[in-house]
Amino acid sequence: MDRRVLFGFDWLWLLALLALSGTGVVAIWSTTDGTSLDSYFGKQLVYLCCALFVFIVLLYFNYHVFSDYIVFIYAVGMIMLGLVLVIGVSIHGNRSWINLGIISFQPSEVMKIVVIIALAKYYSMHEGEYLGIKELFIGGLIVFVPLFMVVLQRDLGTAVTYLPIYGVLSCLAGIRKKHLLLLLVIVVIAAPTAWFSLQGYQRGRIMNVIYPSSDPYGMGYQSRQSEIAIGSGRLLGKGFKQGSQGNLGFLPARHTDFVFAVLAEERGFVGSVFILGLFLFLSYRLFRTAREAKDRIGKMIVAGVLSLLLFHMTINIGMVEGLLPIAGIPLPFVSAGGSSLITYYAAMSLCMGIWVRRYVN
Amino acid sequence: MELQQETNKQLVQQRMNLFCYPVLLIFLILGARLWQLQIIQGAEYALKAENNRVRRVELIAPRGMISDRNHKVLAEHRSSFTVLLYRESITDPAATVRFLAEKLGINSEDVESKLRRSRETGMYRPIVVEEEAGIEDISIIEAHRRDHPEIQLVPEPLRSYKYDETGVPLAAHLLGYIGEVTEEELDGELFPSADYGSLVGQSGIERKYNELLVGQNGERLVLVDSRGREVGLLDDENKPITGGEVQLTLDLDLQKVAAKALEDKVGAIVAMDPGNGEILAMASAPSFDPNAFSTRLSYKDWNALLEDPDRPLQNRCIQNSYAPGSIFKLIMAEAGLESGLLDKNTFVDCEGTVEYYGRVFHCIENGHGRIGLENAIARSCNIFFYELGRRLGISRIADHAAIMGLGQKTGIDLPGERSGIVPSPEWKKRTQEERWYLGETIPVSIGQGALSTTPLQVLRAVSAFANGGFLVTPHLLYSAEKSEGNPEWPPKQIGVSESSLSRIREGMWRSVNGGGTGYGAAIPGLEICGKTGTAQIVSKETQKRVPGVADDHAWFAGFSPRENPEIAVVVFIEHGGTGGVAAAPLARKIFKAFYDKKE
Repeated sequence: MDRRVLFGFDWLWLLALLALSGTGVVAIWSTTDGTSLDSYFGKQLVYLCCALFVFIVLLYFNYHVFSDYIVFIYAVGMIMLGLVLVIGVSIHGNRSWINLGIISFQPSEVMKIVVIIALAKYYSMHEGEYLGIKELFIGGLIVFVPLFMVVLQRDLGTAVTYLPIYGVLSCLAGIRKKHLLLLLVIVVIAAPTAWFSLQGYQRGRIMNVIYPSSDPYGMGYQSRQSEIAIGSGRLLGKGFKQGSQGNLGFLPARHTDFVFAVLAEERGFVGSVFILGLFLFLSYRLFRTAREAKDRIGKMIVAGVLSLLLFHMTINIGMVEGLLPIAGIPLPFVSAGGSSLITYYAAMSLCMGIWVRRYVN
Repeated sequence: MELQQETNKQLVQQRMNLFCYPVLLIFLILGARLWQLQIIQGAEYALKAENNRVRRVELIAPRGMISDRNHKVLAEHRSSFTVLLYRESITDPAATVRFLAEKLGINSEDVESKLRRSRETGMYRPIVVEEEAGIEDISIIEAHRRDHPEIQLVPEPLRSYKYDETGVPLAAHLLGYIGEVTEEELDGELFPSADYGSLVGQSGIERKYNELLVGQNGERLVLVDSRGREVGLLDDENKPITGGEVQLTLDLDLQKVAAKALEDKVGAIVAMDPGNGEILAMASAPSFDPNAFSTRLSYKDWNALLEDPDRPLQNRCIQNSYAPGSIFKLIMAEAGLESGLLDKNTFVDCEGTVEYYGRVFHCIENGHGRIGLENAIARSCNIFFYELGRRLGISRIADHAAIMGLGQKTGIDLPGERSGIVPSPEWKKRTQEERWYLGETIPVSIGQGALSTTPLQVLRAVSAFANGGFLVTPHLLYSAEKSEGNPEWPPKQIGVSESSLSRIREGMWRSVNGGGTGYGAAIPGLEICGKTGTAQIVSKETQKRVPGVADDHAWFAGFSPRENPEIAVVVFIEHGGTGGVAAAPLARKIFKAFYDKKE
């Protein structure tokens, strides 16, 4: 490996990642029982170790290796998504998991990165200032075929996260105003269809954000409890294992999707703003990487990862704060769960790889 | 080629810069929302979180003890467990109903209808599903605490009224019973301390002195999880404070004798200290078991009590009025003496019958012959009092009846007292819009007609003859732990001359001890004075035609001893027959028990 790769390594960036994951691990410890390897806390530590391992291993490879073999990788990813439909297992009603004996994992998470690389590769091959309708269509296929398979797994939350990848990368690659208008028209036409194909509970969640107090013990219960958790944390929080909303079970999915509420309750305004700050710092580092990246594909990959991260974070924290409908989307780096954690560390490794190789030919 | 790539790279960069500001805006919004929730509304949400995890469990305070004048217990409390259903903790209503039915044997339909009704009364008021849970049910509920946190056991003190040795509840009518407070009562002023769902006195002493008897409920703050399972206690519990003791003037031993005397009869017995109005015994029959009301009485049992033709819930001592019969002759005597119509030389010839205003009135078969006041009282001569009544006229009779306290409440400290009726021309005009006929005065003279009195009114009037002319206020409260100072029960002087009183007492003494109608009450060695009464319900002719259907009401009222009296007694037996036979011997039992105990 080139010496510059080693010297260019951004330690603060990694530190920010570890700070986010560390806060997450402590929050999970605080809000669930037990510290054994079988507990949520123990498992999360193991996942974090795996994620760091993946981070280091992937850093070794030049990102062009992935983009060169992307057709092959994409095909493997599609096969995995297909397998899920055949031999997948359901967890929380989502048939999106493959059971590998010791651990279960979600191919739909890993596939996001594959889609980013594939789309970046495809768009960067295009030479023109703007994308043509043909490029937009094929780019759309790259994103929407796996997205549709995730929808078939009834994991709508994850499926939605594919959308910003397509949107942001298409914009960066250059989209004409008329094409943008066309896409918007398609969205306007598709939206009612999507609304009526939603499950009753999903519609209820969306309605609840628009009319929050209409049914405090029904649909709105989770949002209400989450707001109480955050609000009652006040400036400094209630302290480790002191959050009544989390520890007494008032918060739903408190170690996964609602882990930010636990943090806000126990660490207060100071703690939750610190988390937001870490995400902001991370976004800045990714933005800088995109700016400094050596080539177009590098820029595109980092931008795709950045859009994915920001989208995840916004949807999750927005949901926990009661600003957005409840969707089963975890908070990157913080929520309990291996697939999401490993996927994000892989994505970060990819971006860090682009950063350290910014001068390398 | 190179150049093109470079341009494209710059284009990507330019386009990416456009995304900067929206991203910053997102961070700003998320942060601002945190500021709003945690800093601006923080206190509000902290309170909500607190309410979320804390359940207030009310600890019901026991009511105070009710005791007799010697601190013997009449009513106290015993501990029991009530099974409550917390609606907000129910996750699967069907499973809850099934558990209650299968494990505790509680009717599913009852629970379901209570659940339906609770939707209107509010989410956080627990529903009572079983009272006085048995030890078996308690252990089942304890064993399933984790699966069914919505079902909770709460200690609840139950009112417990004492029974005598034969299992008859003691003094049920005057103690009364308790029940859940009604909406109207909550709005009223009778129970200032009551709250929704409180148990308050529904009759008798329990109602009258509710505020002296109620305790102060405590509470326990329980830490619960989102399913309502108890996970801990907060602070020290605020212990309930038992209500104060209320001591009655009653003498439990005498009360038992009075109740026993009324066994299998319909009637009332009251014994009182004629000097100060302290009630020593007050029994009404038939009776009921006030313990039945301590748990929530079923509609069936409640209706059975209400529809019983003998009306067991009625305290016949004060809540119903009857024709006093010949006992009224004592009031006639007072009226005659004080009006100057009777002196030592006033005699009437009794020939057994007499005709007034074209109608024949009867006395005993062959008449009493020439008879004066004292013997007319002793032998209960009707004709003497017919003549006296004719001379007095209805207005003066009514005035003197009122002086002796008839037609008005005695003011005893019990709810629901009746005032009875003293007929007069004004009364008849007011109630029937008719004028008074002179012929109507004659039956009133011997305590018949529209005249009606409660046994307690009769006892008070007789006590006035005994104590030298004072109308006392009968009362049951002896002392109360929670009241400041002892209540005053001032007697009212009625202004009757001692000479009149002594002549009436002489007549009453002769009634019991001088060959009069009250001989059944006589005890050798005691100076008992009394007067019998036999109130005719239907005419003698009807009685002969349909025997037993409406026997006369039997009365006896008396006191002992003749000077400085210590006890006054009234006995009333509904359809008991003649007062001398049916009532006087029962009064004798009371006198005897009173003096036996004194020795």
